[in-house]
Amino acid sequence: MRVLVADDEPLARQRLRDLLAELGGHEVIGEAANGREACELCDALSPDVVLLDIQMPVLDGLEAARHLATFEPAPAVVFCTAYDEHALAAFEARAVDYLVKPIRLERLAEALERARRYGGERTAAMVRALPEAQRRTHLCARLRGSLRLIPLDEVHYLQAEEKYVVVHHSRGEDLIEDSLKALEVEFGERFLRIHRNCLVARDELQELRRDAEGRVHVKLRHVDGPLEVSRRCLPQLRQRVRLL
Amino acid sequence: MPDFCRLPNLFAALAAAQMAVLVIAFAPAPVQEWTGERLLVASVFAQWLALLSGILLCKLRGTLQRLPLHIGAPTACLIPPVVAFLGSLLVHELDSAFAFGYSLPGAYRLRFALGVSAIAALLGAAVLRYFYVQAQWDAQVRAHARSEVQALQARIRPHFLFNSMNTIASLVRHDPVTAERAVEDLADLFRAALGAGQGESTLGEELVLAERYLAIEKLRLGERLRVDFQVAPDLPRDLPLPRLILQPLVENAVLHGVSRLAEGGEITLRAQRDGNRLKLDIGNPCPPPRERDSGGNRHAQSSIAQRLAHQFGPRARMTGEYRDGYYAVTLWLPLN
Repeated sequence: MRVLVADDEPLARQRLRDLLAELGGHEVIGEAANGREACELCDALSPDVVLLDIQMPVLDGLEAARHLATFEPAPAVVFCTAYDEHALAAFEARAVDYLVKPIRLERLAEALERARRYGGERTAAMVRALPEAQRRTHLCARLRGSLRLIPLDEVHYLQAEEKYVVVHHSRGEDLIEDSLKALEVEFGERFLRIHRNCLVARDELQELRRDAEGRVHVKLRHVDGPLEVSRRCLPQLRQRVRLL
Repeated sequence: MPDFCRLPNLFAALAAAQMAVLVIAFAPAPVQEWTGERLLVASVFAQWLALLSGILLCKLRGTLQRLPLHIGAPTACLIPPVVAFLGSLLVHELDSAFAFGYSLPGAYRLRFALGVSAIAALLGAAVLRYFYVQAQWDAQVRAHARSEVQALQARIRPHFLFNSMNTIASLVRHDPVTAERAVEDLADLFRAALGAGQGESTLGEELVLAERYLAIEKLRLGERLRVDFQVAPDLPRDLPLPRLILQPLVENAVLHGVSRLAEGGEITLRAQRDGNRLKLDIGNPCPPPRERDSGGNRHAQSSIAQRLAHQFGPRARMTGEYRDGYYAVTLWLPLN
C-alpha cells in the first residue's frame, strides 16, 4: 500500500519507515511533520493509508483526520499515540485502528491489514465519533484546485454566495463548502452575524457606522470597505458589541 | 497531647475555668446571693487552679508523651483534679484562718475540696479531649496536604515516558551510543521523580535534571528544539531546593511552547545572582495559550510556588507571563 507518515518527531518517522521496510510490500510516499502538511500531502499524493500521530503542532492529528474525512476518496487513517487518549476510546470500534507507541511490528502489520480491508470508508464514520466539543482551528478550502487550510485566526469575515461560502482572510479569499449556519454554530463565539449572508470575526470589529440614509455598516480592522448590517441582525449585534 | 506552654492553649484552659465559675454563679441557688466581690474571688481562684494545671501539664508534657497512650492520657486527665483538690484545701485553710467566709464553713473542708476537684476533673477531661480531637484532625489535614504535594511532584507525564521509549526504539537501530545515553538520562529523571517526596535536592542537581530532560526532548524534537543554558559560575550549586522545581517549568516550556510550533524555537534558561537572591529565568516562544491546557500549566506552577513558599516563606517569588508569542517564568530564591 502507499503510506503517508505524519509525525512531528523525526525519530518517530524513522521508526515507522524502518518497520514498514521490515514488513515489505508497502511504500512510504511522503512524510509530514504536522497536521497541515499531512492534509496537503494527502491532497497532492492520495495515499491509501495515513499513519497519523495525534500530538502535532499547527493542526493536531484529530483535527487533521476531520479534514481528511472530507476528501474524495478519503484515505484510511491509523492513529498513532504515545498514551491512551480518552478521546480515542470513544470511537475505538469505528476507527480503522490505532497504535500505541512504541509501535510493535505485529500491531503495525495488523493495522495496515485492516486499512487494506476497510479503505477510507471508515474514516468518515470515525470522524463523526470525535468529540463535538473540539472545534476546528482551520477551515479547509479545496474548491479552487489545490487544498488550502486557513487558520481561523486569520479569517476576517465569511460571506455566503450561492452554494458556497467565501472566506476573506489575511492572505486572500477562498471558497469552502461548509454552510454559514453550520459555521455559526461551530464558531459562534468567534463570529458575529451582521447579515443573512455574512459573519464577521469578533476581534476584527472596529466600529459601527450609520450613514445618511440610516443604514448601518461595520468597519473591520483589516478590510477596506464597510459591510452592511441588516436591520434584522442589528439589535443582536448591538447587544453583543456592548458585551465586548 | 496539647502543648500548654503555648499561650492559645493555656488561654483555652483559663476560659474553661472562667466558664465554670459563671455557670455556678448563674445557677439558681437558694442559699446565697452572688455579689460582684464574690464572683471576682471565685474567678481568681478558678483561674489560679487552671493556670497551675496548665503549667504542670506543660512541664510534664515530655514525660507524659513518652508513656503509652492508655497510661499517659488518664494521667494527664488526673492532673487538674489533683491540683484542684490540693489547691482548695490550701485556700479553705486560709479562708478559715482569716475568716473571710468565701468558701464553706470549717466543718465542710473535705466537701469543698472534693467538689472543686470534681468540677476540675470534668472540665479538664473535656478540654483535653477537645485538644486531642483537634490535633488529630490537624495531623490528618497535614498528611493529606503532604501526600498531595508528593503526588504532584512525582508526576512525570506518561506521554513523556512512552514517547521517549519510542525514540529509544528508533535510535537503537541506527545510533546505539545515543540510545544508551538516552536510557541513562531517562533513568536519572525517573529516579528523581520516584524519590520526589524524600529529602531535598540542591540547585546543582536541579540544573542537571533539567538538562537531562532537555537532552531527551532534543532527541525527540530534533532541530526544532534549541536550548540556551546559561548558569553563572559563582552560584552555590549546593543550595538546598525542594525536588523537581526546575524540570516541570522546562517541561512546560517544551509541552506548551516549542513542541506546538511547527518551526520550533529556543528555550532559554538563565541562572544568576541578583543581590542576595538567586534569579532563574526560563523563556520560550509559544503560540497563544489554549484554554484547555492552561489548567495543567497553572497547576504545575502553583505546585512549585507552594513548595517554594513552604521552604523559603515570603522570600521566594515566582512570576509567569505570556506576551506576544513568548512565555517567561522568573523565580527569585533567597541565597542565604
